[in-house]
Amino acid sequence: MVTALVRYLLADVLRTQRWLPPLLLFGAVLAMLNSSDAGPPLSAYAGTCVFVYPVAVWLTIVIATAEDPVRRTVTVATAGWWRVHAAVATLSALAALFVALLATLAPVLTQPRPYPLSVIAIGFAALLVCGLTGVGVGVLCARPVVTQHGWSVLLAVALVFAAFLFGQVPPIGNVLGALGHDRGIPTALTTSAVCALALTIGGTWLARTLGPRRA
Amino acid sequence: MLRDVSLSVEPGEAVVVTGGNGSGKSTLLRIAAGLSKPSAGTVSRPRSVGWLPERFPSGVRLSARDYLRHQAAVRGVPVRWDLVEALGFVGDPDAPMATLSKGNTQKIALVQALTARDLLVLDEPWSGLDVAAASALRAFLASTTAAVLVTDHHGHDLPGARELPLGATSTGVVIELARVGALLPEVSALEGVLSAAAVGSGARVEVVATHSDQVLASVLRLGCSVRSVRW
Repeated sequence: MVTALVRYLLADVLRTQRWLPPLLLFGAVLAMLNSSDAGPPLSAYAGTCVFVYPVAVWLTIVIATAEDPVRRTVTVATAGWWRVHAAVATLSALAALFVALLATLAPVLTQPRPYPLSVIAIGFAALLVCGLTGVGVGVLCARPVVTQHGWSVLLAVALVFAAFLFGQVPPIGNVLGALGHDRGIPTALTTSAVCALALTIGGTWLARTLGPRRA
Repeated sequence: MLRDVSLSVEPGEAVVVTGGNGSGKSTLLRIAAGLSKPSAGTVSRPRSVGWLPERFPSGVRLSARDYLRHQAAVRGVPVRWDLVEALGFVGDPDAPMATLSKGNTQKIALVQALTARDLLVLDEPWSGLDVAAASALRAFLASTTAAVLVTDHHGHDLPGARELPLGATSTGVVIELARVGALLPEVSALEGVLSAAAVGSGARVEVVATHSDQVLASVLRLGCSVRSVRW
C-alpha cells in the first residue's frame, strides 16, 4: 500500500514540475563546483554536502505539498494518516538518494584527480546523511506541521542557516568538519545519520499527529 | 462545533445529514471519514473508507485515468470504469483533470470515493451533477452494501435513507413573500407560523414543516405572492 502511495505521489509531483527549480539549482551548483579543480576529493564532497542539504529540504517540501489540502484529505481517507506521511518521507528520502548519487558521481566523472572507491563511498555516505537531514527538516517545515507557505519558506531558510551557524555540531557541521580535516569521519557520519533518522521519523510522527487536528 | 452527536451507520444503510450552513455537517463527515480527530468521544470505522470532499480541487495535473488508477492501486482494488460510464463522464480521461468541467471532475472524485467497500462518506455528492448522473448515483447508493453517510442541501430523495438533522434550528420551512404590505399581522397570526419579518413590501416567514402547505394556501388566498420556498 505504501509502495502504491509512493508511486502515486511521484506521478503527481512529476506532473506539477515544482521539482524543477531545486534540481536546476542543484545542477548549476554541481556544474560550478566541478567546472575547475574542486580540490582534494573529501573536501570537494564537503562542499557539495553544503548544497545537498537545502536542496533536499526544498524537494521534501515540494513532495509534501504537491497535493493540495483538499486532495490530501481524499488520499488520507483512502490510506490513513500514517501511511500517507510514511509515503511522503519515503519518496523524499528516495529523492535525497537520487540527489546524493548525482553529487557523488559528478566529480568522479569530471575531476582529473583520482577518486578511489573508499573515498567515493565516504562521499556518498556523507551526501546521503546530509540529504536525509534535509528530508527531516523539510517534513518539519511542510504541511500539516506548518500550514502556511510563507512560514514554511521562512522556517526552512532559518533551519538551513542554523545548521551552519554553530560550527562543527551535528547533523551537518560535524560532517563538513570531519570531511574537511579527514578526521573522525565514521563517528561523525554515524552521529549525523542517527540525527537525520530521528528528525525524519520525528517529523513524520508530528505530521501524523497534527494532521487530524488541523484537517 | 458539534456536541452530543451519537450516530451509527450499518452496512447497507444510508444516513443523510441535514442542517443549515455552519451546523457542523462537514465536521461530522470529516470525523466519520477519519480526517479530523474529535476533541472528545470515540469513533470506530471499518477499513475501507471512501471520502468525497464538498469541492474537489480543480487544478489537478494528473489525468483522470491516472488519478483513478493510482487511487485504486492504493486501495488494492481494480478501477471502476463501469461507474465512470454509468455516471455519464464525458471528457478526455487522458487529459489533465484541470481541463475537465466541474461536473466531470465531480464524477471522477465520486468514482474514487465509491470504490471503497465499507463506508462511503460523501459531502454534497449531488452538487454539480446533471440529472442522469444524479439518478445513477441514487441507484448506486440504494444498492451498495457499504454504509453510506451523505450531506444534502437540496433535498434529493434517497430511498430508505435515515435523516439526521443537525443544529439548533427547528426544521422549519422559509417562505419568502412579495406583496404583503399591511397583511403582515394576518400572515404572522396563521397557524404554524414561527416568525414573520417584513422585507421591503414583502416578508420572510418561517413555518413549521408540517404546516407549510396550509400556510402557503392561506397566504395565497390573502393575496400575497410567493417568491420562494426553502427548507
